[in-house]
Amino acid sequence: MRILVLMRQLPDLVEELEISSEGTDIDRELVKFVMNEFDDQALEEALLLKESSGAEVVVVALDEPDVDQALYTAIAKGADRAVKLTGVSNERWMSTHERAAILAPYVEESAADLVLTGVQAADDLDGQLAGVLAGLLGLPHAAVVVGVELKDSTVLVTQELGGGRSVDEEIDLPAVLGLQAARQAPRYAPISKIRQVTQAGGIEEVAAHTPPEASATAISLRRLYVPERSGHAEMLEGTPGEVAERIAEILRSRGLVKG
Amino acid sequence: MVLRIAIGGAVVLIGLALGGARLWWLARLIRSGSPAPGRTKGALRRSWAELAEVLGQRKLLRRRQSGIPHALTFWGFIILLFTVIEAFGDVFSSKRFAIPGIGHSPVLGFLEDLFAVVVLLAVISFVVIRLVDSPARRERRSRFYGSHTGAAWVTLTLIALVMITLLGYRAAQTNTGDFPYGSWAFASHAIGGWLAPLGRGTNSVIETTLLLCNVAVIMGFLVFVTYSKHLHIFLAPMNVGLSRRPRALGALEVTDGGSGARTIEQLSWKHLLDFATCTECGRCQAACPAWNTNKPLSPKLLVMGLRDHLFTSAPRLLAAGHGASRGSALTSSNGASSAEGKVVGQSRGSSDAPAAPALVPDVISPDVIWACTTCGACVEQCPVDIEHVDTIVDIRRGLVNDGKMEASVQQVLENIAQQGNSFGKSGRMRARWVRELGFPVKDARKEPVRYLWFVGDFASFDERILELSRTLAHVLHDADVDFGLLYEGERNAGNDVRRIGEEGLFEMLVEHNMSTLNGAQFESIFTTDPHSLNTLRNEYPAYGLDKPVLHYSQLLQELLESTAITVKPLGTRVTYHDPCYLARHNRITEAPRKVLHALGCELVEMPRHGLNTFCCGAGGGRIWMSDDPALGERPSENRIREAVALGVDTFVVACPKDFAMYSDAVKTTGHEPDLRVVDLVELVATALETATLAAVSGS
Amino acid sequence: MSNDILVLAEHDGQAVSDITFELLGAARRLASGSGGQVAVALVGGAGLTGTLGAASTVYVVDGTSGAIYSPEVFEKAFLGVLKEADPRLVLTGTSTMGIDVAGALSVAWPAPVVSYVVGLEAEGTELVATSQIYGGKLMAEVAIGGPHAICAVIAGSFPADAGRSDGTPEVREVAVAGLDSARTTPRGVHEPDTSGVDIAAAEVLVSVGRGIGGKENLEVVQELADALGAPLAASRPITDQGWLPKPQQVGKSGKKVKPRAYLAFGISGAPEHLEGMRDAELIIACNTDPNAPIFDVAHYGTTADLFDLAPELAEKLGS
Repeated sequence: MRILVLMRQLPDLVEELEISSEGTDIDRELVKFVMNEFDDQALEEALLLKESSGAEVVVVALDEPDVDQALYTAIAKGADRAVKLTGVSNERWMSTHERAAILAPYVEESAADLVLTGVQAADDLDGQLAGVLAGLLGLPHAAVVVGVELKDSTVLVTQELGGGRSVDEEIDLPAVLGLQAARQAPRYAPISKIRQVTQAGGIEEVAAHTPPEASATAISLRRLYVPERSGHAEMLEGTPGEVAERIAEILRSRGLVKG
Repeated sequence: MVLRIAIGGAVVLIGLALGGARLWWLARLIRSGSPAPGRTKGALRRSWAELAEVLGQRKLLRRRQSGIPHALTFWGFIILLFTVIEAFGDVFSSKRFAIPGIGHSPVLGFLEDLFAVVVLLAVISFVVIRLVDSPARRERRSRFYGSHTGAAWVTLTLIALVMITLLGYRAAQTNTGDFPYGSWAFASHAIGGWLAPLGRGTNSVIETTLLLCNVAVIMGFLVFVTYSKHLHIFLAPMNVGLSRRPRALGALEVTDGGSGARTIEQLSWKHLLDFATCTECGRCQAACPAWNTNKPLSPKLLVMGLRDHLFTSAPRLLAAGHGASRGSALTSSNGASSAEGKVVGQSRGSSDAPAAPALVPDVISPDVIWACTTCGACVEQCPVDIEHVDTIVDIRRGLVNDGKMEASVQQVLENIAQQGNSFGKSGRMRARWVRELGFPVKDARKEPVRYLWFVGDFASFDERILELSRTLAHVLHDADVDFGLLYEGERNAGNDVRRIGEEGLFEMLVEHNMSTLNGAQFESIFTTDPHSLNTLRNEYPAYGLDKPVLHYSQLLQELLESTAITVKPLGTRVTYHDPCYLARHNRITEAPRKVLHALGCELVEMPRHGLNTFCCGAGGGRIWMSDDPALGERPSENRIREAVALGVDTFVVACPKDFAMYSDAVKTTGHEPDLRVVDLVELVATALETATLAAVSGS
Repeated sequence: MSNDILVLAEHDGQAVSDITFELLGAARRLASGSGGQVAVALVGGAGLTGTLGAASTVYVVDGTSGAIYSPEVFEKAFLGVLKEADPRLVLTGTSTMGIDVAGALSVAWPAPVVSYVVGLEAEGTELVATSQIYGGKLMAEVAIGGPHAICAVIAGSFPADAGRSDGTPEVREVAVAGLDSARTTPRGVHEPDTSGVDIAAAEVLVSVGRGIGGKENLEVVQELADALGAPLAASRPITDQGWLPKPQQVGKSGKKVKPRAYLAFGISGAPEHLEGMRDAELIIACNTDPNAPIFDVAHYGTTADLFDLAPELAEKLGS
């Protein structure tokens, strides 16, 4: 059983994002990149599956800024192998369709039984990876997954439908899943272990396939802009006591305070 | 006479055999621990510690009530060693045996009698102390809560019996004519006077009986000691001699690269010696902020629990031999791809060895290990120099390396690894607070400065506290102090990260900060944060930092004394809270007091101050962990109540975390109206004679 | 190339979801400008066509063995409808179904996808979609010029009322082959746990987010909630940690709530959370970060520390 975890780097949203001079991308010089938090959930679920079933976990990422750090962290957490697909430009925004087109041949060659990735990413403007990739590979898929259980040749998946509803389904392997949340919070990788792993090296570099021109699915991004603050809240100033008094008044005036 | 020698000989041989076997077993057990390097370096310092702490009973005497009787008992037993030699001589050689070289000096006779009586009185005072502070009645508030009180009563009885039999046979000797001392041996003669009417024959029987009893009680005591907490009689001098000097505070001990202790095998031999040495006196427990606020941690109970575990693990430890333990632990943490976490609890030695239980949770609950604030009150108090904090952090390292910690702590560690600060804010925003100052602050990476201000996370990012940073910046600017910052080149100094047990992250932070510091030009560092100060001052030198590190209270003191800043007296009655990491870990207690004095404040001390200060509860990473309100008050609330009882209206702090903790605590205790929490620098700013600064502090 | 707009309907077997009406409203507005028709694709739920009067045509695909939802079956069924209806624009939500099918359909149909759409406008013959990306920090403007496109729209972006009208649209059954041979087998639906508090029915909600720090600290806000007679609600991180039960989660994957007052403590306001509460009549937010997005939807805000504010407020309301 081989589980592929597709991971990617994203700008750290803690930082202020600035828009590049062309206006269609963020200024990548200034931002720090971190692993997509949902991919971290996918990795955690994969590691849990490995612990219960002995599956092999292979993390796969494109050559993106600071990706080595993320891959070594994954190894430190317990991934068996880390693969970096090289030879693709990593200095601009990449659409989900391009990303999927690069990943699809690798996934196919790797003979994976199960492919896990994050349900979404903060910049996947043209759709989410799991569905697009599954579309390219012709594989069954599910997104917003919060539960995964491996059977012999199928996987039992729980998908959240919103509103507190969820659905269970059994999907034939191989399949592609977009993880919303692993069964438990992602584990901690102690820095000493990450450093040991980093020193040992071990990221496998594989030349990426060049994606075909896919104009039929390409979107045309006109511009990025910082949203105007439409209706900003009226800010209540003062000591906590004074603020509390104002809020109490507001609630009382609307008859929302009992007694 | 033959019978007397036979009985005496048998008692002595049995006693020595039993006691010796136990001590040999203990020695092997303790030596099975993993290495603790550097424990014999600095002979002079170690000899001085022996003199001050063992002979001088320095730490015990801090608690007068029990310290004085203990010191008298200790010194008494040294004097009474002479009576032991004499008693053995009386049994085995001849009556009227004299110690060669000393003979039967009347001074010796007097001292022997005097200390026999003094020790008896001391035993009575111990009885009173134990009855008054009885754990049965006072429960958690008693420092003997959880101690082996039965053994303590046996010990007191045995000590009393040694003295009674000693005085008894000596008194009888005054009537049989065998007593070698004159009237200076006042007690023997006085009791002899009461025994005289019984006649010489009876007295002779009494003499032989009590003499043999004395030898028997001494041998019995010896054996009992090796099986009880009174082992400290033998081990305390060793433990004191082998402890970290000058004290096990300040820098943390890191053995074996910080891989941490998951099983008893992985604790160092010094910590095993600590456990065996503990006297269960409970001074640590009485001082511990966790224990005093109903947390599950008592340093004493932790050490006792580990000792019990050490003893029950003895067959395994002795079978495995020593030295094999820690290395295999490293292999396990190296094996990144093996199913981690499952390794704990399984044997690391040869495959047929019995499994080693995990220290956490098999032996100790994780709550206990995480409740520690690393404030060092236990280490400061311990009369036998047990190094609680080092042990606790070593166990934490094992947990962190296995990824076992509270979610909030994991989040903070990830923030620090990712952003370089515990707040998870962009590292580029670190120095944003200087923008509103109205004057430029030098970038020490670009131009030389006299003082480098290492600001720390709280003073950079916490909205309330960066206001204090601005006040200090104004004070320094107005005093023409040449200072600068590292701006976004600074990262969390790593003090608390290291104390959480994340040694790897600590190293990463130090490497980053050192590379920034190496690129900056400055003469000395100052910081408002005692935690940053502690690691910069005590731990960074190992990574190449060779500049002095000051606390801002010291800088303010200097500025006030050199009249670089002049102030008008405030005349306020204040109390001052010593930060643990300033006072206990770094012995800085005078500077803030001198500043307060220079400001014309009347300082009213809290009962727990200076080296005995009481922790606010934030140290050792506790500030990032959640407190269970069901457990009762927080340490900071306990402290506020202590301050309120003094009748002062101003509570002065000199630590950003203290400001945060106590600002909260005055609210939660309902004392916000009557107790004002102020930072030292706010007082300085208020007292400044320049109008601009008065305006700043008032804003 | 038609100017028709097709809405992929969502339903729970009993009723059509709000998002579908929101999309229908938007589709009607766009279609009235371009002269196209509005259609709906409905998989299963054949009895629900009567509520879809805003559309002129409803394509119904059956043969889904009564399954309420299955990604593969829905994707195949929708593809069948797309082939038949050949619309210019397909609208779906950024819901589970939307995330599932949009990407796969874009490859199979094929067509570009624009996700996280919050605005759709016509500019001549072109359509322009506005999307919220980077957690709401930036907006992206995407031109839709080609013959086909799919937009996945964030719930709450358009009014649902504009798409709600009863009527009798033309119902066209579409037979799609191979739905039975799917590699995905539904195993059951878990309905929301209704045993605990029903936050959707509450008049006032006190809601907590990551800023609360730890489960133990919930007591602070619980006291306030008690003073208001309101249940506690939470953002996703809180229920993920297990600090509050899942049914108390507000947001995209939790419940959508419309209380008369929503008090948010330590919630920064991720788009997924805002989706679930932005329609509350009154929103008061407390967050120490003055730039938190929650303040964009709140009526009143404060940067006071929640640990200071909540007890004060509880006291003022309790007296």
